[in-house]
Amino acid sequence: MTSVPTRVKTTLSFRTIGAVYVWLAIVVLFSVWAPDTFPTAVTVKQVLNGNAVAGLVALSVVPPLAARVFDLSVAYTMSLTSVLTAHFLVSTGLGPFTAIALAMAAALLVGVVNALVVVVLRVDSFIATLATGALIQSLITMVTNDSSITGVQLLAKPFASIAQLDAGGITLPVLYLLLAALAIWFVLEHTATGRRLYATGFNADAARLQGVRTDRLRFATLVASALLSGFAGVVFASSVGSGSPTAGSPYLLSAYAAAFVGATQLRAGRFNAWGTVIAVLLLGTGITGLGLATSAQWAASLFTGSVLIVALVLTGGRIAVPTVLRRRAGKLPGPAQPEGSTDDESRAVPAGGTRA
Amino acid sequence: MTGPLLRVAALSKRFGATRALTDVDLEVAPGEIHALIGPNGSGKSTLIKILAGYHHAEPGAVAELDGEPFDLSQVAASRHDRLRFVHQELGLVGELSAVDNLALRHGFARTAFGNIDWPEMERRTHALVERFGLGIDVRRPLAAATPVQRTVVAIAAALQGWEGRRGVLVLDEPTAVLPPGEVARLFDIVREVRAAGAGVLYVSHRMDEIFALADRVTVIRGGRRIATRPVADLTPRSLAALMAGEEMDTDHRPPSSPATGDPVLEVRDLWAGPLRGVGFDLARGERLGVTGLVGSGHEIVPYAVCGAHTGRVNGRLRLTERSTRWTEARDARALGLPLVPADRAAEGVIGDFSVGENLTLPLLDRLRTRSGRLRRRREATLTEDWINRVDVRTAGRTARITTLSGGNQQKVVMARCLAQRPPVLTLCEPTAGVDIATRLQLYDLIERQADQGTGVLVSSSDTQDLLALCTRVLVVRDGRIARELSGPDITESTLVHAMEGTE
Repeated sequence: MTSVPTRVKTTLSFRTIGAVYVWLAIVVLFSVWAPDTFPTAVTVKQVLNGNAVAGLVALSVVPPLAARVFDLSVAYTMSLTSVLTAHFLVSTGLGPFTAIALAMAAALLVGVVNALVVVVLRVDSFIATLATGALIQSLITMVTNDSSITGVQLLAKPFASIAQLDAGGITLPVLYLLLAALAIWFVLEHTATGRRLYATGFNADAARLQGVRTDRLRFATLVASALLSGFAGVVFASSVGSGSPTAGSPYLLSAYAAAFVGATQLRAGRFNAWGTVIAVLLLGTGITGLGLATSAQWAASLFTGSVLIVALVLTGGRIAVPTVLRRRAGKLPGPAQPEGSTDDESRAVPAGGTRA
Repeated sequence: MTGPLLRVAALSKRFGATRALTDVDLEVAPGEIHALIGPNGSGKSTLIKILAGYHHAEPGAVAELDGEPFDLSQVAASRHDRLRFVHQELGLVGELSAVDNLALRHGFARTAFGNIDWPEMERRTHALVERFGLGIDVRRPLAAATPVQRTVVAIAAALQGWEGRRGVLVLDEPTAVLPPGEVARLFDIVREVRAAGAGVLYVSHRMDEIFALADRVTVIRGGRRIATRPVADLTPRSLAALMAGEEMDTDHRPPSSPATGDPVLEVRDLWAGPLRGVGFDLARGERLGVTGLVGSGHEIVPYAVCGAHTGRVNGRLRLTERSTRWTEARDARALGLPLVPADRAAEGVIGDFSVGENLTLPLLDRLRTRSGRLRRRREATLTEDWINRVDVRTAGRTARITTLSGGNQQKVVMARCLAQRPPVLTLCEPTAGVDIATRLQLYDLIERQADQGTGVLVSSSDTQDLLALCTRVLVVRDGRIARELSGPDITESTLVHAMEGTE
């Protein structure tokens, strides 16, 4: 058993929560750089409210990534639900609850299709979800003709409240983000399912031999990511009051950046909920600060990209890359090595051994 | 007759405390196929890896190629231009054609404009492979070629730029990946290489190949050269005797009384991979070994019994204490027997997990509340308990499993199986990559488990495992049980003779 002081030291070490220290450094930096605009309550609200949707999308990719599945369709799923909610509300004239339910049903369908292609048809998830993303985009274009759907129904009370109700300037989506993070954290850290998800991600063959139903878990993560990113789309539609056919696109890079930076935090090497939330806030704060200090358009992407590279370099590439990029060349098909074959060297005869 | 083409003398190699090779001498003459034979773990591969420059030898080793000395005591990208290797995995890129694969090693021909001169490349490749026959299409990806065609391309790639000069071609178990029908054609090709005046060092552990092909044979066992003899002076029996070391049998510890209990596991007519109709009973408390040469199918038996074999499986199984009904072998997973798999890194442990997480992975259902929450404290107690019981040397249950030695990782894998209190413990190569001290601990652990009434099924190609552990051994040859040995009949020599089919 480790003693309490040691544990506190480990918990607060730069290795464990480096991003928090970097975040604090950024806060200090921008407070000095833009002393009039940055260190204000307005900025705090802006960072929190403005990144809640980004945080939801980032969290949506965490469960699949834990099982080493890439869901690149989340951005499209988000666009789809934002557009569908707006469409059902404005063009079809349905009530807000029916509209949301139908949009979420579409997200569920996306998740099931993704899972079928990846798990049942065994297409590499990286490519498969890129492809289904294109399919979703075509569906979006069909519904919208590539223009945003706006209408008074989107600005009316019950629907607008979903994202705009606030307490002291902090809007509801921040609460959704916390609840989603709490749920994902609980499942990954405190249930057998979470442990099995990580086992699936780290070594699917070994996990399967231990009775883990790896296919079923991967299926579930893809459905979960579609539902969560779909929900982010509904929240987005409510917060901006329109259904945009490209609502999700800007969120894809930041979601993966946050998930990968998050995986370097708290539980190094494991994609996890709170690490991802910290990373979203770090990226959000940096981008907001750069916006206030320089008002340069290019600063946001520059910052996201740099943080991602630095975080991944610091962890020495310990985090997974998609199988499709990792696949070893040169392995010939044909009679495989039998399971029993072992390397001679690994069983070198001990000194003085007489038998081989 | 000139001197030897390749001469190696006083070659030794240590890995930490273990001696892989001790004072090994080897000579390959021009126009000779020299076989290197020895059981698993004898040091064959280490010797080849030193020659290839992958490992370095201990200082003092002497090596000459055609009279020119070269250095074995440092790791080099390639040893000598005239020492060429065809490794077991062939080292080819399956997506590329024969032309590309050959060019990868020796460069592309270029036209005056600097682009690749494809007709010239094809002509060159054709010239290299055509003398072996087989009608290889040099432009098609190798993945579409037959195994023997790929082997030929690998040999051609090794031989290119070598014409007219004398060198040594090293073939490391080239038939391991060939279907039986294609072995004879490979032999013709090897003879052709010999006819050109080269020396061939042919590594194998199959005696039939030695007698079909080789001129001389060097036997190594336990890292020492046991003998070098002309093949004509040997019979399969006498060669097997050299390999097995008949005189070593005396220190085999007497097996405890063979179990006579009721069968706990019955297997009938099992077909999987190379296995064709294997059946046996395993008694309570019995320690049953399954062995054979690599490729015989023995290593598949535990996988098939646990429902972990990935290919097609046919047959019937019955766990007598669970049910009187037979289970189809393809549904064997439902019986839930735990397996200690052969490849610890790939199938056994999850490298990114801690010791504790590895240990409890199959036990999680037992460790949760009704609401699904994991009982962390109970998990910790369980882990600590098993770490103590099987004596895992670790910094703690939260240490990453890969910080443990191979032997201690194996103890964790074993503990994980035992914690499931299985009626049958199935193991595949249980001591692969495990040092001698830990090996004895593992034997002890298995023995104690059997004494408590668990049936133990262990597949191993390591005769030491079988001698130390088993009360009965089934020897699999060509997918069938060729021999059954029990009690005092289990000796190194009976095992080797039975595996090779030279009784």
